[in-house]
Amino acid sequence: MNALRRHRALERIWAPRPGWRGKLTTVNNNDIGLMFLFLAVTFFVIGGILAMLIRAQLATPRSVFMEPGIYNQVFTMHGVIMMFLFAIPLFEGLTVYLLPKMLGTRDLAFPRLSAFGFWCYAFGGSLLIFSLLAGIAPDGGWFMYPPLSSTLGSPGINPDFWLLGITFVEISAISASVEIVVTVLLYRAPGMSLDKLPIFAWYMLVVAMMILTGFPPLILGSLLLELERAFGMPFFQADAGGDSILWQHLFWLFGHPEVYIIFLPAAGVVSTVLPVMARTTLLGYGWIVTAAISLGVLSFGIWVHHMYATGIPHMGLAFFSAASTLVAVPTGVQIFAWIGTLWKGRPEMHMPMLWILGFFATFVMGGLTGVMVAVVPFDWQAHDTYFVVAHLHYVLVGGFVFPMLAGLYYWLPHFTGRKRYFKLGTTAFWLVFLGFHGTFLLLHWAGLLGMRRRIDSIESGSGWELISLLASIGGFVMAIGFALVLIDVGVAVAVAVRGRRNPWRAGTLEWAMPAPSPSYNLASIPEVRSRNPLHDDPDLPVRIARGEGYLGDPASGLREILTVEIASGRPTSLVIFPTNTALPIVMAFVTGGIFVGMLIKAYWLVPLSLAGVAMLAIWWAWSLGSRKDQGLRPVGHGLVLPLASEVKRPPGWWGSLFLLLANGVFFGSLLFGYAFLWTVAPNWPPPAWLEPGLPGPLLALGGAALALGGIRLADRTLRRGTGPWLGLLAGLTGLAALGGAGVTVLTGTTPDAHAYDATLWVVAGYVVFHAALAGLMTVFLALRAAGGYLSSRRIGAARVVRLWTDYAVAAALLGLGAAWVPGVLT
Amino acid sequence: MTDILRLSIPLTAWLVAFSAVYGLQGVVCSERWAEAGLDLAAGRVALTMAWAAAAALQVACLLALRSPRLASRSAFVRRASLTLGITALVATLWTLLPVVATSLCL
Repeated sequence: MNALRRHRALERIWAPRPGWRGKLTTVNNNDIGLMFLFLAVTFFVIGGILAMLIRAQLATPRSVFMEPGIYNQVFTMHGVIMMFLFAIPLFEGLTVYLLPKMLGTRDLAFPRLSAFGFWCYAFGGSLLIFSLLAGIAPDGGWFMYPPLSSTLGSPGINPDFWLLGITFVEISAISASVEIVVTVLLYRAPGMSLDKLPIFAWYMLVVAMMILTGFPPLILGSLLLELERAFGMPFFQADAGGDSILWQHLFWLFGHPEVYIIFLPAAGVVSTVLPVMARTTLLGYGWIVTAAISLGVLSFGIWVHHMYATGIPHMGLAFFSAASTLVAVPTGVQIFAWIGTLWKGRPEMHMPMLWILGFFATFVMGGLTGVMVAVVPFDWQAHDTYFVVAHLHYVLVGGFVFPMLAGLYYWLPHFTGRKRYFKLGTTAFWLVFLGFHGTFLLLHWAGLLGMRRRIDSIESGSGWELISLLASIGGFVMAIGFALVLIDVGVAVAVAVRGRRNPWRAGTLEWAMPAPSPSYNLASIPEVRSRNPLHDDPDLPVRIARGEGYLGDPASGLREILTVEIASGRPTSLVIFPTNTALPIVMAFVTGGIFVGMLIKAYWLVPLSLAGVAMLAIWWAWSLGSRKDQGLRPVGHGLVLPLASEVKRPPGWWGSLFLLLANGVFFGSLLFGYAFLWTVAPNWPPPAWLEPGLPGPLLALGGAALALGGIRLADRTLRRGTGPWLGLLAGLTGLAALGGAGVTVLTGTTPDAHAYDATLWVVAGYVVFHAALAGLMTVFLALRAAGGYLSSRRIGAARVVRLWTDYAVAAALLGLGAAWVPGVLT
Repeated sequence: MTDILRLSIPLTAWLVAFSAVYGLQGVVCSERWAEAGLDLAAGRVALTMAWAAAAALQVACLLALRSPRLASRSAFVRRASLTLGITALVATLWTLLPVVATSLCL
């Protein structure tokens, strides 16, 4: 088979359906990645327009351009859109598009999950934009502090859009993170051991782990605040044992890592693009990997950095001030490695390089003001002033937007297959760069002069008038620059001439395919021997196209892909991917019913949507697998591998493991909240502790033993080739008993009476939910066994259910134990 | 997966210890500590012991990552995990230094 025939055969297998239906049913990483990017840029434009409205309002003293209520919605939505609807989805989109190509594979680990994540993002984002157009948008600032955001401060629907819309969008971030982690660990070209990973993949692995551990506290906080607003459960109300500071802890447990979640992908882009622009290799690859990991973890030890003004004792402040200064070290390691890379290379000044230089100048200044606000006495002076606003824009625009624009111009030939012709981009760069510094350098000064953030007008004689006017002029110059970038890219997409493959002479595998990339990415999977395979073997793209790698024969007509062993990159199994389907968009739509039901207080819609999601999930999982053992299959080069569905730990097991990591952080945050309120909140102890009695603990202990033993018995009997029925029945009975134990706590508390009762109610609800979920999975497993989908080889589904059952048991014992212990001790 | 664990464990242990010591400081400064019949001097001792335990844990982690039985077979992972182990030890010593250097509950 020649290269052209192979291309046509693979396109038939991997391409989306033709026409507009193709966009709704595609699960291909190229389509989903570009859809993410397009939507994120659309939200950036909306957020940018809001920024211009803010600057118009503040250009002159006592402005009446907007009334205060509208201004509050505008500045809140500017922050919300830029943080949640632009920054995170933009790098998710770039990663969904690029990562499989860089790793030398054909798609991400769970293609339908990519599509589901995108549609959750699109629907959740649309909900927020609708609120803006309807004039009922969130108006309490992007971090929504109660009591301003509780029903006391905001009785309207506005904060509910934030709490529910953002949580809906975050499903997309969690989905993408599970995808990214499993893809980087398992879906790589053979031979790509950990030391040969593209540097961008290391960064994204760290970022995805950060999202899995950083987002759950915010999801928990949103849930608790929504429960308080909807049902009066007083988590944040001091008069009933709650504490509004708990929100700040949960928010900033997410919020500070979020800054690095946004910065690190951009640093990954810089580490990828800079060496190519400097015609050399990255200096200190190992140091950069360790710096990225260090930064990822250290950033979680800084959350109180944002709470210096809340009255925390000096020792607590000193812990977080020390940790804040420490973060500068791994950041500095990366900066010096990049400077060293420039030093050892022969830099060429192309558009990506211009944006990287802009990044250096801007981000270093933002980092230095970051060290300033890490120092407690300075922060007390600058807190909630425009100095902080200027600092965060230096970090986020300088540290994220500029590198992403470098990435945009670097990969533009890959997206379009065209060569930029017009030179509009250079003008755009200078307008953005000068406009940005003209705005925010000056605003540091305004902050030092005492200008508070979020004020809707400035008084004459305050001393901020001229600064604010100049900042507004700078803001509009910057906006014109961004508009020119969009025009430049639009022109390049529409009318520029065809370019050649790999115009930058880069060494990474995303350039080993035609541009724009075909839907299957690589016609065959290459064997990799270094970090820059195209530098080792310039003919590699041709050999890939000829089908000389693995899986070069498309005769099966299936979407085939390889998994590898995590450390060594040795091939381990063959995966057959699902094809195009409307299931993800339908499931995202039904998931939306949960949030819309809460939003409009049509609570009947919530359980109905949950049931719909459960049914669709069963349909989703049912379509996988086979009724007979397939044995070893040839994948090329004389190698034979088992199907992933016939290994003990299939990709779904790994996906579950990392999803449970996020779930565990959510539950850990809930227990932290419980401990925090018990330790610090006023009006404790509660009027009465919950008495555990005898039935509850007996149900919990007996249920745990049965659930753990049952699923293990089912696993063992499956391996022996006999029916798993007794084990599954025992497991199901155990899970029902665990759920029953949770119900004893639910019925023993009055959730709106005191924060203690409310917290116990959520803990018990979590236990009941997970027992029910594991029970549903056990029933699913029984149906699969009855349908002939399980055997001694095809045991992966049982392992996934075992993982979820173990988690449900652990959560139940821990949660119910925490609920009962105070009652026992007193 | 064990190589990923080797890279993750040192700093994760720092984060857990850091959060735990911060939580302990909260407990020491709360009414619950006094209700248990303990004073601030006992709180200082508890915090200092927790800091020492966290540092000892990091030293043990570092020794384990160096030992032939537990070290990675990959030179890259071995170097990176040792660098991260040293980083975590320095982070433990530096970020928890306030337990002996500042006032407790002011």
